[in-house]
Amino acid sequence: MSRRIIGPAAWIGLASGLVIGAVAATLVKAGNPGNMGVCIACFVRDTAGVFGGPALGMGGVAYLRPEILGLVLGALASALAGREFRPRGGSAVPVRFVLGFVFMVAALVFLGCTVRAWLRLGGGDLNAAAGIAGLVAGVFAGTLFLRAGFDLGAARTLPRLAGWIGPGVTALLLALAVAVGLGAKPAFLTVSPARARATAQGALVAGDAVLKPAGGALVGGAVVAADGEVVSPAEAVQKAKPIPGGLRAPLWLSLAAGLFLGALAQRSRFCTIGAIRDAILVRRFDLAFGVLGLLLGAFAVNVALGQFKLGWVDQPVAHGDLLGNFAAMGVAGLAAVLMGGCPFRQVIMTGEGDADAAATVLGMIAGALAAHGLGAASSPKGLAPLGWPALFVATVVLLGVGSSFRAARRSAPCSAPSAGAR
Amino acid sequence: MQIDVRGRSCPIPLMETKKALSAAPARLSVLVSSGTARAHVTSLLRDEGFEVSVQEDGDAYRIEAQRG
Repeated sequence: MSRRIIGPAAWIGLASGLVIGAVAATLVKAGNPGNMGVCIACFVRDTAGVFGGPALGMGGVAYLRPEILGLVLGALASALAGREFRPRGGSAVPVRFVLGFVFMVAALVFLGCTVRAWLRLGGGDLNAAAGIAGLVAGVFAGTLFLRAGFDLGAARTLPRLAGWIGPGVTALLLALAVAVGLGAKPAFLTVSPARARATAQGALVAGDAVLKPAGGALVGGAVVAADGEVVSPAEAVQKAKPIPGGLRAPLWLSLAAGLFLGALAQRSRFCTIGAIRDAILVRRFDLAFGVLGLLLGAFAVNVALGQFKLGWVDQPVAHGDLLGNFAAMGVAGLAAVLMGGCPFRQVIMTGEGDADAAATVLGMIAGALAAHGLGAASSPKGLAPLGWPALFVATVVLLGVGSSFRAARRSAPCSAPSAGAR
Repeated sequence: MQIDVRGRSCPIPLMETKKALSAAPARLSVLVSSGTARAHVTSLLRDEGFEVSVQEDGDAYRIEAQRG
């Protein structure tokens, strides 16, 4: 009998990973935040920030990222074309919401999802290596639960309409994103101003305009409030840092990239969690080749575009707390194994009509609002005071979920290989 | 031998197929419901040296594998 380890699916995975990494690095060149060409956690968070706004401390991370909306709709188009749009759901839906929530909180402690961890490494950010080590540890922990019989139960086929809810909401958000991109300013939304920079004193400038404090002006390079008080001296304005929500590639480019990558990932089954999980659990490497491609594609294009910067300090949208990075990605990795795939896949499956995946993404949105509202999300300075307590609570929740959902598979007669044989 | 992993999250379709393979069956039939499970299980079976064919069966895919 012939047995191969690396078949055609692995090469398809490698190629799609290379393209995803290359497109991500290109989006950074086109204006996205550093090493954030594609980041599911960051983009879902930014999209949530549009509704959270300053009340939840999200004024600087508020933008309807066209990439993420494009991913869902690109996957939808690809799934429809390939006759794989199959409305399904009903497998422990509230648990999936909680897993998405927990995943997001952990990702915001690390500052990136399981995709961005590799993109950061591919941009030379060595802090990400600690996160990736944690990711492997977290996925390994997840495989122990799977070996012990963890199973959230089977999803059922749902009425066709149920599969359209996720893509439908996405299409509405895209309409909003396009309206905002064309200059509309809906009163109920917050959108981080494009190319805005924040000073250490909290003033916000974009070019020659002062966005915050209201009525302020630039006088001799300093930000001066309406009452004449100097809010930020000229040297602080010089050193002002761009706010992540204000860094963005052109809307149409972001959208096109999202649509393209959504279709590609739907076809290639790209999954950053399955990559590690399947290698450990079932000795399958198809998905691992996808992540290898992601890393190499991002690395090559970053080098070619002159944006590769090897080191530990001053990395874009990152902090250097190595233990925090390890632990946060460990929690994220475990959560993602329990929810059945990485956040990228949850977004893609939402496009395929998977209502359980849509519930997971909703959990991620709620997790982003909570992490920012409660102050558990990290900043480039490091972990927030609530960072470690949040990771602790998340771990307790995950251990509870992992050890609670086991009975279903044992009692299901069809899944035992000997049963059901005819 | 037949296994039914319809509606199961990743990686359970792969795990169950792998488990079934440990009995070294000459033929194996796997019922899956998503394109992703179909792709992963098909790829596994082909790499293990099976001849594989897939038919749509209602809302599901029936993967038939036979030792090549």
